[in-house]
Amino acid sequence: MLRYIIRRLITLVPTIIGVTFVIFMFQRLIPGDPAVAMLGEHAAKENVERIREQLGLNRPLFLDREALAQGDLKTFFDSQYFRYLSRLVRLDLGVSIHRRIPVAETLAQRFPATVELALLSMMIAIFVGIPVGIISAARRNSILDSVSMIGSLIGVSMPIFWLGLMEIMLFAVILKWLPAGGRISTGTHIETVTNLLLVDSLITGNIPGFFETLKYLAMPTIALATIPMAIIARMTRSSMLDVLQEDYIRTANAKGLVERVVLFRHALKNAFLPVITIIGIQAGTLLAGAVLTETIFAWPGIGKWVYDAILGRDYPIVQGGTLLIALIFVFINLMVDVSYAVLDPRIHYD
Amino acid sequence: MQALLEIKNLKTRFHTDEGVVKAVNGVSYALQPGEILGVVGESGCGKSVHALSVMRLIPTPPGEIAEGEIIFEGRDLLTLSKDGMRQIRGRDIAMVFQDPMTSLNPVYTVGFQIIEALTLHLGLDHNQARKRAAELLSMVGIPQAEKRLDDYPHQFSGGMRQRAMIAMALSCAPKLLIADEPTTALDVTIQAQIVDLVKSLQKEFGMAVMWITHDLGVVAELAQMINVMYAGYIVERGNVREIYYQTRHPYTIGLLGSLPRLDEAPGARLYSIPGLPPDLITLPDGCPFAARCPYKVEQCTTDMPPLQPADSPNHLVACWRWKDILEERAQ
Amino acid sequence: MSVYEEVTVVDFAVREHRSLWVDAWRRLISNRTARIGMAIVALFVFSTVFAHFFWKYDPKTDLDYALKLKPPTLIPNEEVPSVHLFGTDKLGRDIFRRVVHGGWNSLRVGLVAVSISLSIGGILGLLAGFYENIRETVPERMALRALVGMALGALNAWIASQWYQALLFAGIGILSVFIREHDKRRRRIMFIMLGILCGAVPGFIAHPMVALVCGTLGALYGLFFSFDIGGKFFSDTVMRFMDIVLAFPSYLLAIAIVAFLGPGLEKGMIAIGVVGIPIYARLARSSVLSVMQKEYILAAQAVGESHGRILFRHIVPNILSPIIVQTTMGLASAILSAAALGFLGLGAIPPEPEWGAMLGDSYRFLASGAWWAVLFPGLAIMLSVLGFNLLGDGLRDALDPKLQI
Repeated sequence: MLRYIIRRLITLVPTIIGVTFVIFMFQRLIPGDPAVAMLGEHAAKENVERIREQLGLNRPLFLDREALAQGDLKTFFDSQYFRYLSRLVRLDLGVSIHRRIPVAETLAQRFPATVELALLSMMIAIFVGIPVGIISAARRNSILDSVSMIGSLIGVSMPIFWLGLMEIMLFAVILKWLPAGGRISTGTHIETVTNLLLVDSLITGNIPGFFETLKYLAMPTIALATIPMAIIARMTRSSMLDVLQEDYIRTANAKGLVERVVLFRHALKNAFLPVITIIGIQAGTLLAGAVLTETIFAWPGIGKWVYDAILGRDYPIVQGGTLLIALIFVFINLMVDVSYAVLDPRIHYD
Repeated sequence: MQALLEIKNLKTRFHTDEGVVKAVNGVSYALQPGEILGVVGESGCGKSVHALSVMRLIPTPPGEIAEGEIIFEGRDLLTLSKDGMRQIRGRDIAMVFQDPMTSLNPVYTVGFQIIEALTLHLGLDHNQARKRAAELLSMVGIPQAEKRLDDYPHQFSGGMRQRAMIAMALSCAPKLLIADEPTTALDVTIQAQIVDLVKSLQKEFGMAVMWITHDLGVVAELAQMINVMYAGYIVERGNVREIYYQTRHPYTIGLLGSLPRLDEAPGARLYSIPGLPPDLITLPDGCPFAARCPYKVEQCTTDMPPLQPADSPNHLVACWRWKDILEERAQ
Repeated sequence: MSVYEEVTVVDFAVREHRSLWVDAWRRLISNRTARIGMAIVALFVFSTVFAHFFWKYDPKTDLDYALKLKPPTLIPNEEVPSVHLFGTDKLGRDIFRRVVHGGWNSLRVGLVAVSISLSIGGILGLLAGFYENIRETVPERMALRALVGMALGALNAWIASQWYQALLFAGIGILSVFIREHDKRRRRIMFIMLGILCGAVPGFIAHPMVALVCGTLGALYGLFFSFDIGGKFFSDTVMRFMDIVLAFPSYLLAIAIVAFLGPGLEKGMIAIGVVGIPIYARLARSSVLSVMQKEYILAAQAVGESHGRILFRHIVPNILSPIIVQTTMGLASAILSAAALGFLGLGAIPPEPEWGAMLGDSYRFLASGAWWAVLFPGLAIMLSVLGFNLLGDGLRDALDPKLQI
């Protein structure tokens, strides 16, 4: 098993190198000069040049062929890309161009907010979506099945930003039950340990803080959970329906097993494989969907932050944020593969 | 003697987009305890569906048992509750299916799948059940049974899987074993082994066996009674000798005629029944075999002949003209 | 037994035989969800096409501050002298009119984006799946290796500022098809030498250092060509590239592409289209792989049909069902993504009517109670997306109930 995981990790290397390359390409291709963005349109030319040199922007993108033609091998490799790679290896994500704060610092602060939101949404999506899918498959063509499948189709079709806005309108503007946005009210203090406020408030025994956090989390979580929930429910249903037609389900029935056992023991474990794939894909999509949700609910996570950085040409943030998201995505895919190998004895992993 | 299983006028239907498939059309017969019954016919003749109807494993919808009674040890299975039926399945009536490749759950060990039935019906604890499962596996001829309990189905060969299926079916010593084409998906040599295995196990357990197949050779070797089915009807029923040597129904005649024979002249063409079985949605009035029958008369296309005694009271045939055919063929 | 041979078989009342597509169509229209989906899609397409051609709208001149943010008005009154079914927005524009015209943009985005993803991703996936399992012909191998050689050599050519290096390596690629040296070690050494030769010798003209770098690269390329570079390599490369694209969450990638191309509806279409490429590539490849295992492909190969013929006669028709279903659902998700981009201010440029942008424009007024400005454009997005999803669902049931998309 361990060997299988290691082998999978090795195959990830080219993907990760490709990812860093794409990220690098994009941020350099986006029009606009970060030095100008830093100093303003009317900055003196020599100042801009100085900043460009400081940031290494005066170096060629990949390789310096002029230097090589002079016989200088060292300068040949001294390019923006290789500087970026060597910084990455040293886990140096750089300093925000506009705010002059180390990217890693802000990331450490903002990332848990996104994780908290995404994890909670994913948990809701899984714990609601899978049972709904199973019940729909077991009671195929019943009213329950029709209702949940139409519901999930609407869920799949839902623009989450619109759903979020409708939630705000109903719960914050009309009913005034929940706050319209933000992560926590300014008056509430929660000791930070993990920066996941739900966890922190529980650890420190801050029960009012816990419910306060939950209040702020409620609307963005529901908005973010809707689509994955719908997709998971649909996938579970169709996968279960497929499995329920298999011969071994007939065998299980012929043995006289109770329906519950046939469904949950014999069908579910087989039906789970495609569902896991979809959960993996959705988990990644969730992180991206956070861009929209975080914008609407003024959630201080990384989605909104990276989005603003793209528009503001703040390279180091774009670089750090996207890389982190992409790496998580790749990691989730690895987890999916590993769980496949665990669930299905037919997959050889040695 | 009370029959173990008595089927009366069983009709099974499937409701599809294209129409109602009349899969079983009024099948009636009785099966005695300890008897081996062969059910033969082409694919799609309703032999598997009638067996699944006995187990009440017809997928509903689209399937539906429209009419009839299935009396097992004096109780009508069709009126039993879901739970009552469940207790009979696996314990009193067990079933072995056609494709051993897909009939075992790929994500559980073979042992687990046998133990499951044992703990369910016999109330054994895990250790007892495991011991029993190992015994069963070695009984069906799997070497190193104790070790192989922990193997997954994909680590078994096709023949071994079918042996495991049989072990699973026999685990609770059922009174009736339904074997639905258990050898079709296997190699010929393995087929013979499985047939011998079931034969010897039948002697040992004394259970009744319903062996469904399209292979006339296999049943000749195994069965005492034979039902020949065509388009959801039993067209001829009798003991092995009657079916093979005093064949009365033209379909059975054709079926036996299409077997290759060793005593035939080399290079002789193998005979085949002309035409195809009827579409079960648009089943014709009258005898379903009429369109392919060389002996048909007017009456055959309008009225379905009843299943009635031919030469002996236990040899039944559903044909208006069996006597004429007998004479014609004698000439 | 001879009697049997004289029998003429009277055919039974056989059910009417229909073609596969007619059959699928009948199943489609007998399916309730598909009918609802078709109705929604038809309504959506018809109304926006009709509005586009017969109910002219010029967003640039549409402005009336006197009417700003009025709730839906069905009967004209003193305050609001005209009918506004969906109310008006912050510039006093009729939301109903803008919703109807916004549909045109959504439809365009959907069609263009899906065409981009489908044509690029579909073809890549088709070829990847096909050549993964089939031995490529000599001309195909030549073309592939020449292209790969050219691409690799391009780096050398650029470093040394000698364009002909690219051609040299393309030549090594072609050569590697024909040199039949079966001893692995000798073949490897031969090609490494050849690579060094092609890289270093021209490099020397520039500078010894250039020769060193180009020679090293050349040796690597030579080693590469000493292996069996064929269909499997092609397929692996394409799919690995798709993995990289898929490693980025789709919205983020689309945002980045738009940031690179600059805002605008057309740029949004391209961005959404590019992001969708891997989905179609993967689907096409896996469909091809499952078709390739069928006996009829083996049969086609056995009778010596050409690759092109096998591909278009036997494979493409058999993978159409999943592609059609995915395309329909892809339209839905493209509309959704376009709206998301619009909402973030990256799609259509105001005052162009676009549903997402309309939402983005108006959601700040939600707190002051202008629910209509948010409700109706969002409803339009949801309904049109739902329509395509319902239709896709119905299509899947009609074309191939076993499909899992």
